[in-house]
Amino acid sequence: MSDVSSASLVNVGQHGDSQLSQNGDSQLKSATLPDHSSTMETFSYDDGIVRMFLTATIVWGLIATVVGLLVAFLLVMPSMASLLDIRISSMLSFGRLRPLHTNAAIFAFAGNAIFAAIYYSTQRLCKCRMWSDLLGRLHFWGWQVIIVAAAITLPLGITQSKEYAELEWPIDLAIAVVWLVFFGGNFLMTLWHRRERHMYVALWFYIATIVTVTVLHVFNNLVVPVGWFKSYSIYAGVQDALMQWWYGHNAVAFFLTTPFLGLMYYFLPKAAERPVFSYKLSIIHFWSLVFIYIWAGPHHLHYTALPEWASTLGMLFSLMLWMPSWGGMINGLLTLRGAWSKVTSDPVLKFFVVGITFYGMATFEGPLLSIKSVNALSHYTDWTIAHVHSGALGWNGFMIFGMAYWLLPRLYQTQLWSKSMADWHFWIGTIGILLYIVPIYAAGITQGLMWRAMDDLGRLQYPDFIETVQSIVPFWWARILGGALYIIGIVMLCLNATMTWLNRPSRYEVPVYSAPKLSQNYRDVAIPPSKLEGMPVLDAAATLSQFSAMDWHRRWERFPIRFTLLTTLAVIIASLFEIIPTFLIRSNIPTIASVKPYTPLELAGRDIYVSEGCYNCHSQMIRPMIAETQRYGEYSKAGESIYDHPFQWGSRRIGPDLAREGGKQSSFWHWTHFENPSKFSPGSVMPSYVHLLEEKLHFGEIQKRVEAAHFLGAPYDQELTQADSMAQLQAAAIAAEIIAQGGPVAFSGHLIKDSTAIALIAYLQRLGKDLFRVETPPPKTVEPEPPVAQPNPVAVTYTPRQN
Amino acid sequence: MSKEFQPNDVPVLHNYDGIQEYDNPLPGWWKWCFWISILFTPFYMMYFHSGAAGRSVDEQYQTSATENTRKQYAEIGDLAGDQETMTKFLKEPKWVGVGQSIFKANCVSCHAADGGGNVGPNLCDESFKHIKQLPDIIKVINEGVAGGAMPAWATRFSHKNDIILVSVYVASLRNSKPANPKAPDGSPIPAWPSE
Repeated sequence: MSDVSSASLVNVGQHGDSQLSQNGDSQLKSATLPDHSSTMETFSYDDGIVRMFLTATIVWGLIATVVGLLVAFLLVMPSMASLLDIRISSMLSFGRLRPLHTNAAIFAFAGNAIFAAIYYSTQRLCKCRMWSDLLGRLHFWGWQVIIVAAAITLPLGITQSKEYAELEWPIDLAIAVVWLVFFGGNFLMTLWHRRERHMYVALWFYIATIVTVTVLHVFNNLVVPVGWFKSYSIYAGVQDALMQWWYGHNAVAFFLTTPFLGLMYYFLPKAAERPVFSYKLSIIHFWSLVFIYIWAGPHHLHYTALPEWASTLGMLFSLMLWMPSWGGMINGLLTLRGAWSKVTSDPVLKFFVVGITFYGMATFEGPLLSIKSVNALSHYTDWTIAHVHSGALGWNGFMIFGMAYWLLPRLYQTQLWSKSMADWHFWIGTIGILLYIVPIYAAGITQGLMWRAMDDLGRLQYPDFIETVQSIVPFWWARILGGALYIIGIVMLCLNATMTWLNRPSRYEVPVYSAPKLSQNYRDVAIPPSKLEGMPVLDAAATLSQFSAMDWHRRWERFPIRFTLLTTLAVIIASLFEIIPTFLIRSNIPTIASVKPYTPLELAGRDIYVSEGCYNCHSQMIRPMIAETQRYGEYSKAGESIYDHPFQWGSRRIGPDLAREGGKQSSFWHWTHFENPSKFSPGSVMPSYVHLLEEKLHFGEIQKRVEAAHFLGAPYDQELTQADSMAQLQAAAIAAEIIAQGGPVAFSGHLIKDSTAIALIAYLQRLGKDLFRVETPPPKTVEPEPPVAQPNPVAVTYTPRQN
Repeated sequence: MSKEFQPNDVPVLHNYDGIQEYDNPLPGWWKWCFWISILFTPFYMMYFHSGAAGRSVDEQYQTSATENTRKQYAEIGDLAGDQETMTKFLKEPKWVGVGQSIFKANCVSCHAADGGGNVGPNLCDESFKHIKQLPDIIKVINEGVAGGAMPAWATRFSHKNDIILVSVYVASLRNSKPANPKAPDGSPIPAWPSE
């Protein structure tokens, strides 16, 4: 920022509004007045930090959506990058770039926007400069460094593979420090030093955001590091899935919802110049939202191996969440009563109205999708993608744009460069959203129906998976058009922001305000007696009516620490109700004796699967439904993923499920398929992974991974000392198989047994087989024969259930 | 908009940076929907989690699996994987079609959609490597051959009829004309018996 802030004084004396708020209560309700003898203090606001965050918001918004467009192209033209050098093209796969798109959209675009909103509004709502300018700058630059680190590590395949928590542990530590210490610390200290007695509803939402994101981030990212760039989640299988979607769902709640509601509560009444519709509704929907949201995560895991009671809780709390969410929408839209004429002329309000409407749609659709029978159709399809984009593009994007157009003239102390361009942005963005979501809803429902369609003879109507993919490719093209329009809108915002910035004054004016310090001897307004007092009703009824008048809440609003603790309590108690039973009750995850840990080579292969982001397109979780078991085989059991740190159940089937992939194809098939997927599957949208054939596996690194897996509970024995040689043996056996089946002996100048692809094939050939494994008596030979060298015995006695 | 939202708003209570608030009551429909969504919970829990038989996800799956198997095979019962059965079903297009559906779901990535062969052998010509007579097809599919080049499929189907019928379909491919036939592998064998 080149802007030098000057300290020119515009002393407005006692800020007009403060008079009102100081006396507001007492004028309405007779109560003891707070004393006015406190000393007046003068202060100014730090708008430089808001300018920084707003600029970052706009820049990252453009980058996040352009990466989104790129991954959309990669789906319809999977070999688009193959002309480039292999080191580059290996980074340009959907699997590696999709996390970059989601992380950039959530943490860079929305993240910087909520920081801009919070730094601007908190200072004004507290009549107090941010506590520390330095912490603000550390927060800003720390956050940008984290984003850049994400943009570098994700394309390189450095990932934890948990959705929206992909970043590896050193970056996670940095996030914890920047978020909690630099941002949270600065925010809470500002609250502590505020000159406004009561905290406005926007601040409640900011508090909930800061507290809950910290809790979610810390507990979902507990890992055992294996070097600087790799780690294993301390949780496995079912428990890891529960933690991940407790996190994932509440990242939506407390990163994309609560701070945006706070933003709405500040910027909407400001822009509309209308009072907020209902204070009482604010209280009720705030607390119900915070308490209920946290339970809803398991609805991402319906019909999986998650215990059924947890899935049910996820659904029921999602249904209860509908009205609390709509409370926010109502309070937003009804605030505009009397200001609707302004909406037609003010692009800021237009963005807000459409943004809040999308919030209402998305929070109706969320409970709908959480209903198990609806979810049975929608899960793994593009329906989810359409749902999140109506939320992200409509709610988050449009609230951000509305805020940006409101802030730009104020922050740069000039007129907005072009109001009509802002209007154009609104229209082109709205059309862009519709062109994005409508085809993707159609794609999701189409593919979901095709997957489950059965004919009269109880057979899959579309047994060939690729056929279901091909049928939605035209929708994917239409989505590209919608996304491109949305991006054109963002380019207009960039231009408008740049031109407005160019018209800024040579020195910014920094108004100085004054307000009295909060005195220590404040007494609360007395809670008015119940309207039922003295009437012929039970005392309890009178008390209840007094309670439901919500006047008691007013007192809470002047104790930031107590308020923060209560919010924390609401979030943590709700979490523990689901987490503790899942971790402690053994019957939730019945063990299966035949399920054994991965061999060293399979473990290394699994790490490649994670690193390539295979989970972005392939699930490993067959649901107990006829159409699924017909297509993929016996449904997945909880006990099958107990060695999976982290779990790899996935959330979207762009490709088929792989839970029973082991032994389904020959190893040579896999080898050739990685080289050129469409050779065997014409019409496949999987890109070539020939770089896995070319790269050599670092056998020496397997040992420490085995040790980490052992530390997490895998019962290893000789693997702990001979991981390297065991892996070499198994690789040689698989390579021999491939050669015998017609594959090459060497590839790209080395024997194929040294290819990373061999490890990945070892992993894939293991998937889902243990369930059918028949225990063989241990070999009597003393010579340690690695179990890896022999293929898993084919199940000879497992008899499928015959009906 | 109902009349309770009209101008008789409960007056302004607070003022923060110029933002004022009304204290309007909650919309009635909002309260009712919220209460209903809460009260729905115990009923749903009781219905699905009280331990009554047949309501868990697994039990429902077992029921529908039974129903689906009945739909699939009530007509023909459990087939014996012998030459006689296969010869008989080769003449029934409906059941060859069922075999084709199973083939499309599981076999096409190696043997191509029309059986012309890809990484796996061409199934449409006269040459076979591991097959002399019809039931050998079942054996190959069940147990696999060539060290896993053809994987064993015994555990992958929910009913053993599936393997028999897909074998019938494979047998029916013989002498068909695939688009891109792979070169013959193995040696010619006598034609399938007609009776």
